[in-house]
Amino acid sequence: MRTGEGLPGSALPIPLRGLQGPVLRADSRDPPRQLSSSAPSAPAASQDPGWRAFPWPLTVVVSLPAWLDTQDRHLGHYVNGQWLKPEHRSSVPCQDPITGENLASCLQAQSEDVAAAVEAARASLENWSTQPGAIRAQHLTRLAKVIQKHQRLLWTLESLVTGRAVREVRDRDVPLAQQLLQYHAVQAHTQEEALAGWEPMGVIGLILSPTFPFLDMMWRICPALAVGCTVVVLVPPASPTPLLLAQLAGELGPFPGILNVISGPASLGPVLAAQPGVQKVAFCGAIEEGRALRRTLAGWVPELGLALGAESLLLLTEVADVDSAVEGIVDAAWSDRSPGGLRLLIQEAVWDETMRRLQERMGRLRCGHGLDGAVDMGARGAAARDLAQRYVSEAQSQGAQVFQAGSEPSDSPFFPPTLVSDLPPASPCTQAEVPWPLVVASPFRTAKEALAVANGTPRGGSASVWSERLGQALELAYGLQVGTVWINAHGLRDPAVPMGGCKESGSSWHGGQDGLYEYLRPSGTPAWIPYLSKTLNYDAFGLALPSTLPAGPETGPAPPYGLFVGGRFQAPGARSSRPIRDSQGSLQGYVAEGGAKDIRGAVEAAHQAAPGWMSQSPAARAALLWALAAALQRREPNLVSRLERHGVELKVAKAEVELSVKRLRAWGARVQAQGCALQVAELRGPVLRLREPLGVLAIVCPDEWPLLAFVSLLAPALAHGNTVVLVPSGACPIPALEVCQEMATLLPAGLVNVVTGDRDHLTRCLALHQDIQALWYFGSAQGSQFVEWASAGNLKPVWVNRGCPRAWDQEAEGAGPELGRRAARTKALWLPMGD
Amino acid sequence: ESISKQATEIWISKIQVNKPAVLRRAEQIQARRPVKKEWQAAWLLKAVTCIDLTTLSGDDTASNIQRLCYKAKYPIREDLLKALNMHDKGITTAAVCVYPARVCDAVRALKAAGCDIPVASVATGFPAAQTHLKTRLEEIRLAVEDGATEIDVVINRTLVLTGQWKALYDEIRQFRKACGEAHLKTILATGELGSLTNVYKASMIAMMAGSDFIKTSTGKETVNATFPVAIVMLRAIRDFFWKTGNKVGFKPAGGIRSAKDSLVWLSLIKEELGDEWMKPELFRIGASTLLADIERQIYHHVTGRYAAYHDLPMS
Repeated sequence: MRTGEGLPGSALPIPLRGLQGPVLRADSRDPPRQLSSSAPSAPAASQDPGWRAFPWPLTVVVSLPAWLDTQDRHLGHYVNGQWLKPEHRSSVPCQDPITGENLASCLQAQSEDVAAAVEAARASLENWSTQPGAIRAQHLTRLAKVIQKHQRLLWTLESLVTGRAVREVRDRDVPLAQQLLQYHAVQAHTQEEALAGWEPMGVIGLILSPTFPFLDMMWRICPALAVGCTVVVLVPPASPTPLLLAQLAGELGPFPGILNVISGPASLGPVLAAQPGVQKVAFCGAIEEGRALRRTLAGWVPELGLALGAESLLLLTEVADVDSAVEGIVDAAWSDRSPGGLRLLIQEAVWDETMRRLQERMGRLRCGHGLDGAVDMGARGAAARDLAQRYVSEAQSQGAQVFQAGSEPSDSPFFPPTLVSDLPPASPCTQAEVPWPLVVASPFRTAKEALAVANGTPRGGSASVWSERLGQALELAYGLQVGTVWINAHGLRDPAVPMGGCKESGSSWHGGQDGLYEYLRPSGTPAWIPYLSKTLNYDAFGLALPSTLPAGPETGPAPPYGLFVGGRFQAPGARSSRPIRDSQGSLQGYVAEGGAKDIRGAVEAAHQAAPGWMSQSPAARAALLWALAAALQRREPNLVSRLERHGVELKVAKAEVELSVKRLRAWGARVQAQGCALQVAELRGPVLRLREPLGVLAIVCPDEWPLLAFVSLLAPALAHGNTVVLVPSGACPIPALEVCQEMATLLPAGLVNVVTGDRDHLTRCLALHQDIQALWYFGSAQGSQFVEWASAGNLKPVWVNRGCPRAWDQEAEGAGPELGRRAARTKALWLPMGD
Repeated sequence: ESISKQATEIWISKIQVNKPAVLRRAEQIQARRPVKKEWQAAWLLKAVTCIDLTTLSGDDTASNIQRLCYKAKYPIREDLLKALNMHDKGITTAAVCVYPARVCDAVRALKAAGCDIPVASVATGFPAAQTHLKTRLEEIRLAVEDGATEIDVVINRTLVLTGQWKALYDEIRQFRKACGEAHLKTILATGELGSLTNVYKASMIAMMAGSDFIKTSTGKETVNATFPVAIVMLRAIRDFFWKTGNKVGFKPAGGIRSAKDSLVWLSLIKEELGDEWMKPELFRIGASTLLADIERQIYHHVTGRYAAYHDLPMS
């Protein structure tokens, strides 16, 4: 519109007339006081003048659940179907975070209590895991029924203790808990058929964060119990709801020891992990705590599942329904369903409009007592408040604009909804995780830039994309490096949809099939033996390159020489070589001695090749793998003789080459079947379960089966779209280098990079590299421990063999579904439909 | 005088309404602001003052119009109001709403009852609007002549569904002129507009053309006043206010029968537009049976007992 034509107002003929309708008769200013002299005053509303005209009143009478009295307001631990209240333990008060009223006191566990809980879980494991799935399903269904019967107690207690709005707990958490139990009951029922070849891991240790203890626990215990594991939950001090749930479950009867809850500080985590029999530790909490735990538990537990951080992301494009997106932002940050803060990216064209709408909307949000039915946000205790306050002060000192609707007195337990803007990516504050209830808004110009900004963070939890253009929305959704993407919605959840993250948000999953596999292992996996070496010096492991001397002239045909990086053989940075001897000890040849710089180069080359390989269609990937298989077949005599020289029997060598060819073909064929669409109750429209490549995958191959193990690991990695940096067998790297000669002509440059050299040294370089997305290590126990410890740097998922050899020639271990599961990560993409 | 094609384009062309997201918001808003006890009673009385007490039946005659008008004047039993200390606040419904041919009856009855409640008349080929523009305009003029001070016109859905926004604007402009001093309430018949995006666009055009109120539906479509549609219309009202500074009223009609519904509608207005809109000048509920349920709830609030139907006077 041109201004000459007069909009807004003048030329546009809008009649400016007041209505002469009836005068407002029932005085709207202050109705309650006219109605009754004893009208209770609404505390939350009276703090906020904007609401005085029509105060939303306190609608739920605060009454302490009588359940606390049955425990004499003194809570212990719930172990093996009974309360455990040991003497001589310190206790922590459980307080209403808003009034500060003491609700109960909670005993703090010590190592003996943890040991007792794990012992109970161990004792009931055999009985529980050998029950038919149908029996376990029945048990879970019964627990769902019990929750239904006592839901009021559950939601009142949870809201009272956590300070979250009762509406969220009542209308969302408790129904979701029941749905989770029902969904997983069905999974348990069909386990024998659907999950054949997998067995329950055993005793699971679960460590919870203080924000959502009840729901976090349900998401994890349901799949664990369904597949036949038993659980010990360590809840933060003063979280009675999980205890109540354990009691409800325990009173169901026949399987009291399957769910044990102890309360105590997070420092008990390592104690829990170190108990004999604990096969997996699942942790949810802050990123730094998770990192510390990863380091502490290196070499201790076979599996550590981390779900870290709570920040989310919302991407608002110019072709979005801005008003609905504003509601999405409210759901994502300023409500009691949101676990953490929000990074908000707004396209510049709609920046002003969005800010205006946001600020207007913020004025209508209400903070108040969690049990008030008309409240949007409760309080989450002093620690959360201080965290938010610190972030705001720091942002302000760095020049950010901070908008808060209304103000809270400094001693108020509430923190108002807060909108921070003008905080460019370079300001130090932006690096930190955004705490609840903050929204940090930044502008972007194009969709491409939005992706760059969105992915420019070490965290990768969940995100939503708001755009009415399907093509754009899908492109952004596929490009975001996160575990969950909602299109034009935020924060939807369903038991059937896997929920997880990538990068530093941890790579564990809950919900759906992926959630089940977290607690399963391939049948026949040998029992785990602790391999912790207390003397391992992390600072020195693999640090020094052993010096190697010339060992004489090569006899026979010289092997291909150099590091295979970026599609061609290159001289190593150290310009030195290491001799390779055969089984008799005579010199077979020299291979290049790779070092830190070579790893750096290889990772760079892999990153350059990644976008191209990722965007290849499955068919194209399959074709390349098959071409490689054919090339291997052509080279068979050559490879067989190399293996023979290494002391492998002719028959075995031939079988190894044949099996390698078969592996490539098999994974090529499996490329096609990935991902699926799920249908969930809450949503009209599908949820896509995508299997995305991890990125650059580093693989340290085992010494045994020099060709077969190399190919068995390489094939699934390539099939799932990863680019790879490999360290071949240390004792016999030459067959792998022979394959590289074929790959040089067949594969795109940089797709596969093979670096030979000292395995410990190369492992160190790979494990500490921040831009490698995952690491598979097959080597010594010490190396495994180091890899686990070093992976804490960027929290890359690692797969280590803890020094145990693997039967690469067996189908299950050499080409089983486990490899495919580890070679890609899941992304859930929610696509609501409707016009 | 007439708006340029460009202007209509700019105000409505970029708009995006995402239905699933609006549906979610509609679901949430019903659970987020419960009102109880004294507050509930106050809110219900507030709702009464916003009702356009309506009868739109083929068998309407002078006698049931008279009953309706007296109920509009005395919506809640006197003793109940006294118990609430609201008997002297002059609580009546906001208007009565009838067919054009019954306007005279209503005006007469209200005069006899001694009150100045406005009479609203539906017009322009209600409910389908499938008559000639000339007769539709004439209908408005005749209703105004008979004493209606508010005219509820229905828009021509054909124009919406075929995307003739400019023509729609011109038609409503003519309705506006025909109304003269009477208020123009434009019924969008949202159940027949096809999509929420169309609802937004039609709302915006109706406001640009000078409507004093926009109204969801006639009550005769298969889908009437729903919360998702209301959210879209309220957002349009707010956008129009932000663009021009003019406050346009909102009237949901059709299918609002329970006191509980009326509370949700009030809280919806409060949440989306704010307290300024919570008065009869800017908010109406078109309903016929709602009043009876509200009166029953007030009875319960005052006496603590549930009323029998014969305890409360009929309309």
